[in-house]
Amino acid sequence: MTASIAMGSTVSEGARALWTLALVLGGAAFALVGLDSMPTWLHGQPRGVRRATSVEEVERRLQSRVLLPSYFPDSLRWPPSLVRFTREDGGSVALDFQGKDGAPALLLAQTLAGAAAIPEGIQGRLAVIQRQSAPLGEDAVLARVVAEDGTLWNQLEWTRSDRRFLLRGRGSLEDLIRMARSIHGERR
Amino acid sequence: MTGQRWMDFAGQAIFHTLVAALVIEALIRLWGVRQPEQRTGFRLLALGWPLLVVPALFLAFPVREAESFRDARAIFAGRHWDDLAFLGVGLYGWWIACMGATGLGLFLLDLVPWMRARSAQSPPWIAAAPEARAAEEALARAAAALGMEAPPLAWVASGPPVLFCTGTRQPMVVISRAAVELLDRDELTGALAHELAHLERHDPTLSWALMGARALMCFNPGVQVLVRAIARDAERIADERAGTACRDRLALASGLLKLYRATGGRVAASGTGRRPLTAALAEPIARARDHDIELRCRALLGEPPAPVPLARMRLAAAAAGLGFLLFFVV
Repeated sequence: MTASIAMGSTVSEGARALWTLALVLGGAAFALVGLDSMPTWLHGQPRGVRRATSVEEVERRLQSRVLLPSYFPDSLRWPPSLVRFTREDGGSVALDFQGKDGAPALLLAQTLAGAAAIPEGIQGRLAVIQRQSAPLGEDAVLARVVAEDGTLWNQLEWTRSDRRFLLRGRGSLEDLIRMARSIHGERR
Repeated sequence: MTGQRWMDFAGQAIFHTLVAALVIEALIRLWGVRQPEQRTGFRLLALGWPLLVVPALFLAFPVREAESFRDARAIFAGRHWDDLAFLGVGLYGWWIACMGATGLGLFLLDLVPWMRARSAQSPPWIAAAPEARAAEEALARAAAALGMEAPPLAWVASGPPVLFCTGTRQPMVVISRAAVELLDRDELTGALAHELAHLERHDPTLSWALMGARALMCFNPGVQVLVRAIARDAERIADERAGTACRDRLALASGLLKLYRATGGRVAASGTGRRPLTAALAEPIARARDHDIELRCRALLGEPPAPVPLARMRLAAAAAGLGFLLFFVV
């Protein structure tokens, strides 16, 4: 009787100790996750979206080539002003370009493995006011979207080579389509 | 290893030590671990982390160094803080540099006075002296109480009160005439029993090992703080052993206080206050020493702390839990 009471007390003591340990480790894990997401939060990016200093760095980190347009209008500045990527769904990249005037002018985003939709975290969520099919393939979509500053931008989305692409710019639609084609080596 | 890998190693060693030490200290308080031996066991787990576990993780799991692991699997990756930069250097780099400087500062804070004391001219020790009879008798009483053979006694005929043990291969107790004159019979027996308790546990050897660990991890502030905590625990363990063996905890507390007042603390610290940095550091260090002595005396005035049950199970569970958590911290 006494032995079983002592055994029960030991078991409950052990269970209490393990529960305390779980709470402490859980708290530590929670704090670490919070600390890890602070840099992206300070940048105003959603969790999981990381910054890189160059296209080459993204290619190295994701171990995949980023397809770039061979046609690049003179009105845009090279290199990209911001390079973001996420490892979600095999990886996606977004390159932000400024115009010669220093204002945001173009976004090129693409998935690196698979034709799933480009995560909202890196392409942003803009209001679409007009949609129609585009001359870039069967599932290509041309849209007019409202940018954050209230101006209207053109947006092209299409799938090719098992990747999903998105080009969004405030320049001419002709330039946008020409850039899209040049990504795949097409001249016109 | 490349420079970047060394930086990752240093960063992880520092960060893992901080997390492990904080988790261990939280567990010590929440589990109510009061016995100094058990506290030392837990703190050695945190101390062993950067010395053994972090290198083992680097060698056995190179996958943790891959960027895919850092971006997708890790719950914390220090290099993510490099996304934010100050003066062209990532914040993670700044953090490692600041922590490294703090660790080095803490290491030098103890190393420099220790080296100065070693190089300073100290009064000669005499192996045997006729006037050391009282000390030899007290040493014999203390050794009998602890059930061990009395080590050789070294006598210092002049200078301030001195009482300490030394020697790794040939241990001995050093005592000065001033110490014998300062303490009464029971206090002297208690204080000598305290030193013998250190020798019984091979603390002089342990202190060299800890100094080696500190030197090896001189850039790691967590290690510097943990070693100090373990050294304080060693003092508490020797207090408890001596107090229990001599059955006079009050005499030991009284002897401790007398020796402290006569040798250390604020008196010694205030003498080093000429340079601005030394003066700024001397006061908090002296206060910390005062507090430490106060805690030791308080502990001796009370009953010996009871051990917490299932200590080994708790230690193993804490090690396993920390291992799982810190595997995902890169």
